[in-house]
Amino acid sequence: MISMMQTDFLKIKRKGFWFLTFLGPIGVVALQMVNYGVRKEYLLQQSENDWLYYLQNITAFTPLALVLGIAIFTSFMASIENETNAWKQLIALPVSKMTVYLSKFTMLACLLFISSILLMLFTLGFGVFLSFDEAIPWLELVKYSFYPYFAALPVLALQLWIATVSKNQGIPITTGIFGVIFAYSAHIIPDWMIWKWPSLMNQWDEPLINVLLGLGVGCLLYVVGMLDFTRRDVL
Amino acid sequence: MEYIVKTSNLSKHFGKEVAVEGLNMNIKKGDIYGFLGPNGAGKTTTIRMLLGLMKPASGSIHIFGQDIKQHRKNILARVGSLVENPSYYPHLTAYENLEALRKIIGVPKKRIYEVVETVRLTEVADKKVKGFSLGMKQRLGIAMSLLNQPQLLILDEPMNGLDPSGIIEIRELIKRLPEEFGITVLVSSHLLSEIDQMATTVGIVTKGKMIFQDSIEAMRTLAGHTISIQVNHAEQAWRLLLAKGMKVEHENDFITLQESSNEMVAETVRLLVQANLSIYRVEEEKRSLEDIFLSMTREDSAV
Amino acid sequence: MGAVLRSEWYKLRKSKMLPIIVAGPLIAVIIGAMFNYDSMEGGFNQWSLAVLSMNLTYALLFLPLITGVLASSICRYEHQAGGWKQLLALPVRRGNVFISKYVLLLLLVFLIQLLYLGAIYIVGIINGFTDPFPLEIIWKSILGGWLATFPLVALQLWMSIIFKSFAAPFAVNVIFTLPTILAVNSERFGPFYPWAQPFSMMYIGGNAEDVFFVPWDQVLTVVGGSFILFFLGGYIYFQRKPI
Ligand SMILES: Nc1ncnc2c1ncn2[C@@H]1O[C@H](COP(=O)(O)OP(=O)(O)OP(=O)(O)O)[C@@H](O)[C@H]1O
Ligand SMILES: [Mg+2]
Repeated sequence: MISMMQTDFLKIKRKGFWFLTFLGPIGVVALQMVNYGVRKEYLLQQSENDWLYYLQNITAFTPLALVLGIAIFTSFMASIENETNAWKQLIALPVSKMTVYLSKFTMLACLLFISSILLMLFTLGFGVFLSFDEAIPWLELVKYSFYPYFAALPVLALQLWIATVSKNQGIPITTGIFGVIFAYSAHIIPDWMIWKWPSLMNQWDEPLINVLLGLGVGCLLYVVGMLDFTRRDVL
Repeated sequence: MEYIVKTSNLSKHFGKEVAVEGLNMNIKKGDIYGFLGPNGAGKTTTIRMLLGLMKPASGSIHIFGQDIKQHRKNILARVGSLVENPSYYPHLTAYENLEALRKIIGVPKKRIYEVVETVRLTEVADKKVKGFSLGMKQRLGIAMSLLNQPQLLILDEPMNGLDPSGIIEIRELIKRLPEEFGITVLVSSHLLSEIDQMATTVGIVTKGKMIFQDSIEAMRTLAGHTISIQVNHAEQAWRLLLAKGMKVEHENDFITLQESSNEMVAETVRLLVQANLSIYRVEEEKRSLEDIFLSMTREDSAV
Repeated sequence: MGAVLRSEWYKLRKSKMLPIIVAGPLIAVIIGAMFNYDSMEGGFNQWSLAVLSMNLTYALLFLPLITGVLASSICRYEHQAGGWKQLLALPVRRGNVFISKYVLLLLLVFLIQLLYLGAIYIVGIINGFTDPFPLEIIWKSILGGWLATFPLVALQLWMSIIFKSFAAPFAVNVIFTLPTILAVNSERFGPFYPWAQPFSMMYIGGNAEDVFFVPWDQVLTVVGGSFILFFLGGYIYFQRKPI
């Protein structure tokens, strides 16, 4: 498994995966840099707690970046294997198909986790730069950086599944577009839709529920996808 | 007899289309097994099933005496393969491609240099595969198949895109493998001449069915001795011989014997003379292997 | 040129694009149906309300993003198994190939816009709207949105010719599209941001005196300007691309 993952990391060399891993969180924070750069005074008037308000502004984009990032990563990874039909070589190796699938999932989960760490650092950095009056809300900062990640695991599992079994990568990308539209409409879509979860909204106002749901349903969708992947013929 | 590869009644269909049907393949240790058939015969499909890439619709596969269903990992650890076009990651160098594989199969690093040397890619090993010529990619594919020091090597049309010297190199390499390393080789091709130059055993498929499987010598014997007899009434002679249960064909003035032992020829001539037919000529026709292959696969040729 | 276009159309027809084309209108119906119209008060035409709320996702995110998928789809069969070299080894001008693909993409986007019009209608029926259908306004919105995608389609075609995968052009598309969410809120940046134009030109709440809800000079400079930039960029790149 470890060696399988080393191989997977080797394969994504020079393909822009690392670039995107950095770009995601940078982009999310950069949007707020522009936002605060243009109308800081106005934004500071919007709430009592400027730090929290700033975090909420960041969090408006985190789910969108996550959902789109997942769609891009999974489809990108599938294209690398599809390009010369490397699946047939991979599956003819003495490793189980489950290992192949698990390794891909784990690698992407790692990249996204790194993105989340970076998101926290960049958020903190720019927040400090803005020098709000309040103390840094550490707990909230960690929550807003990592909760969406865990809540997005079902989306990762679903997109990985679709991307690996689709011949036409237009399908997973279109699914990703659906996903981002749902994520953007989080306030009006029902609680059961997995794309709502990274927004941390739910009717009980308890973000932890989304995290737990994300972990649980993420595992479930992962297993379903993996079983379907192992069942299929490799062409 | 212990077979390295043994399939029993192997079948596979795609929707309604039958790709492989009731295929029994037997490959002995140390064989170079030439797997022949016209386009669309089912060679690649069979090979995919041997490698566990596809699940057979019915039938079983035993490799090294183990069932692929239960011992897939075990078997694949000792098998090297190249299926259809080589698979590689174009954005990585040849070396990195091999390294990606090596990490999974866990052979020492120096093995990479060995296989690169074997297929003569050393000079371009550090170039991205994107820029490789067709033949260089093919060599890389063969290098990948050798990386894990396999005991069974499965090559699907390995000569694709190789230049004449490349073809000779790879052919010599394949021929060396059984002698030097005790490797058993399965090579598929639709060119009999290619198989003829290296195989020890031949299996011929058309439309998913195995229609011939024997040593290359047996096939040559088949090639050498067709007897044609020119008579005044070929049709009458043909009926007569058929009625006696012989395998004959007729075309124009000639009847052709499939079996060509001395006794058979003598018996045939005797029968014809007794029936008052005039025999103008008795000829031994040397059919080329190519002819045989064509006539074998013609009846229900796929394309 | 006609032959190239017909051949492109044929290849496209054979490549199962239907799900991608109906995706947008479908999602518009879903979102439109979920929206609660009763919560809105005061004198608005129900149809206009529906369009305003549906545009929020359709014009802001869906339309810019789907252009990328369409462009990648139309180049997919060329990237696969060396289609480019086969196509360009024929006695056709490279420029015509590029233009044919571009024209076809525009037609597809127009088709999607028409389906969106249908989606608006369906949402109205689902919700039992009784107000008169503001035909002219909505048509202007449909056409305006279409015009606004001209530059985006050109850029995406360019990217799709460069990259074999769907993911890479899509990543480029995402990078430019996400900031739109902020841009449309800004009176300073919004008008100049090409990716915000589909939303602005479909925004029926905009200035009704302007044909496409934004001033003509904005249409000409921002949409026209970026169109020329991206179209020429792609066109020249394709002329020089070594196959
Ligand atoms: N994935 C698939 N879906 C549908 N039909 C298939 C598929 N793969 C193979 N076939 C069909 O199965 C038959 C056998 O194909 P196969 O690729 O095994 O032939 P082959 O002997 O390898 O031919 P070639 O010499 O051209 O490589 C063909 O008729 C082909 O159309
Ligand atoms: Mg084949």
